[in-house]
Amino acid sequence: MDRRTLLKSLVAAGTVGLIPHDAFAAWERVASGLVPTDGLTDAQLARIGAIADMILPRTDSPSATDVGVPAFVNVIVSENYSDAERSTFIADLDELDPDLIDEIEAMKNRRSEPARTYWRLKDLIIHGYFTSEPVMDNVLHYVVMPGKFDGAAAMPVVLQRSNHG
Amino acid sequence: MADVTNFDAIVVGSGISGGWAAKELTEHGLKTLVLEAGGPTDPNTDFVEHVQPYEMHFRGLGDRKLLERDHPIQRECYACDEMGHKFFVKDAENPYTAPDDAPFRWFRGRQVGGRSITWGRQVYRWSDLDFEANAKDGHGNDWPIRYADIAPWYSHVERFIGITGANEGLSQLPDGEFLPPMPMTVVEEFARPKILAAFGGERVMTIGRAAILTKDHNGRFACHYCGPCERGCITNSYFNSIGSTLPAAQKTGNLTLRPNSVVAEVLYDPKRGVARGVRVIDANTMESREYTTRLVFLCASAIESVRLLLLSKSTRFPDGFANSSGIVGRYVMDHHYGSGASGTVPGFTDKRTTGRRPNGIYIARFRNVKTAHPDFLRGYGMQGGSSRSGWSRGGRMLGYGADFKNSLINDLGPWQLSASGWGETLPNPDNRVTLDDSVKDKWGIPAARIDVRWRDNERAMDRDMQTAMAEMLDAAGCTDIRTHGSTNPPGHCIHEMGGARMSKTPEDGVLNQWNQAWDVKNLFITDGACMASNGCQNPSITYMALTARAVDHAVAEMKAGAL
Repeated sequence: MDRRTLLKSLVAAGTVGLIPHDAFAAWERVASGLVPTDGLTDAQLARIGAIADMILPRTDSPSATDVGVPAFVNVIVSENYSDAERSTFIADLDELDPDLIDEIEAMKNRRSEPARTYWRLKDLIIHGYFTSEPVMDNVLHYVVMPGKFDGAAAMPVVLQRSNHG
Repeated sequence: MADVTNFDAIVVGSGISGGWAAKELTEHGLKTLVLEAGGPTDPNTDFVEHVQPYEMHFRGLGDRKLLERDHPIQRECYACDEMGHKFFVKDAENPYTAPDDAPFRWFRGRQVGGRSITWGRQVYRWSDLDFEANAKDGHGNDWPIRYADIAPWYSHVERFIGITGANEGLSQLPDGEFLPPMPMTVVEEFARPKILAAFGGERVMTIGRAAILTKDHNGRFACHYCGPCERGCITNSYFNSIGSTLPAAQKTGNLTLRPNSVVAEVLYDPKRGVARGVRVIDANTMESREYTTRLVFLCASAIESVRLLLLSKSTRFPDGFANSSGIVGRYVMDHHYGSGASGTVPGFTDKRTTGRRPNGIYIARFRNVKTAHPDFLRGYGMQGGSSRSGWSRGGRMLGYGADFKNSLINDLGPWQLSASGWGETLPNPDNRVTLDDSVKDKWGIPAARIDVRWRDNERAMDRDMQTAMAEMLDAAGCTDIRTHGSTNPPGHCIHEMGGARMSKTPEDGVLNQWNQAWDVKNLFITDGACMASNGCQNPSITYMALTARAVDHAVAEMKAGAL
């Protein structure tokens, strides 16, 4: 069976995803590089973990820290943010007491301190959670090669073929 | 290969147009050299459409510092992301300039396959409404062809590459030879008849027509709905040159493909009055060499082909190759796009989509089709789609905890329906590409200077896109309707056209009705540079059809001894 025929059968079966060559290199980088050299401190990561698990606690599905969300936030803040953005993030993080989450959520102006960082962080936490492998595989049941498109499929959400995300 | 320097035909560029030129020329038995400025593409390692977010270091958010360093301009294109940036040029190596008050975005892909790897895949035939537009309102010159001249070539292209779509019987958007249409979503099916009824049948929402296979076709496989086509396709389900036209050319045994070959000049033979070949700089060694030929096809993309003409000066052509008209570089266009509206469709919460449809809905042009609009000439088509946002809405949603999490997993949020316009730009001689001799690219070649501006007609049309779409959403029963105005500068749509337009007379343009240079009979230009107006349809299929038609003519002239 050549590569194309194999692929064809995989598509028809709708069950198995294909990970091309590049993916392995990408994955090795993720596996080995999730801790930036100039990253957030353990205390900062612990606070991010506490907030993340308040937003996305462990239920019948994993919690945010169960799937490594703080490490992902660390990568974005340490490697993608500009110096100014990172300084703001770190300064505001001190004020993001998990006990005050109700007050912060209730703040009308989402651009004020520390709400601006809370909403950026919340967005990152949710992105990191739902793009993690355990959640994509076991919670969203994400299928890499669905094999068909249905524009009027019936709910519920959790199906063999999901287009979450 | 290294020793052969003479070919029956030379094609500059290996993308959508170049691939078609290569296929048609080689199938006619011509020994053909395809020159590609960028490096080779290997689908087995370069196509990364199945890499999942958790396999990417930045989870799909992009390596911002790398993108800012290597692709400060290219990164504004949605496809130039964490995985796809390799299909875009490095801006520092490929500079261009623009006036401070006229920004232009030039998104470029230099690799075998060109921008056919990352293109948007939407394909719409032009109609006589488009080919007659310049003649009727006096902007630009009259096209030397009409729909009947190109229609059989549209069919020729459609049959080979495979197009999904639905025929609607519209005079302004001719039917084609389509594979089965992709399904609409439940809310698109709901909205279509409501919009038809509200506007007397003039506003037709149809499923997008796309160069994507909905069933196996010509040895390529049907789409498996993985989603991100712009990263490549290991099953060849969407059309690009490396999976379709270039392999067909290869099969003839007549193709020589030379990557890393930056064409710096078209060479003129003053005795015979023809293009005798091209001068190439090896992208890696910087070595310069010449290739000779009987026939030259420029398929390098509109601005690259214009730049090449302007770079190729001689006693006969002091202002650029084949430029006795002085029109080379003038009448450059792009679609102004992105203004429209979005809204919430109430209900249908028991329905969802499965699979990721790499296509949307299309609303055929309805302005200035039957009645004249008071505010602007020409028209626009609208492209959009519908979806439920799923977990991605969570970052803006109030709440936290188990119930919040549960709602992101088990409730997809409301249906959103949106669309934006793709509008025709009036041909204008001041929208112009010249050379900037003060700036040179990595290979020492003077950069293009691009001065293209939106004007009043485009701005008036942008405003109408917003109100018209809002009206349609209202007719479809949407709530929370919001309009959006586009701030995209010219070039952003990546539909750059013009600069070497076709014309009825040698004084009025650069190319005749066969895409053949008036001044140099063995030079053909079949990329976007040839366009005398720009319609509102996505243009690639028109380049493909014109390319095949031009090759047919060139081969006939060769056989008749005229070339």
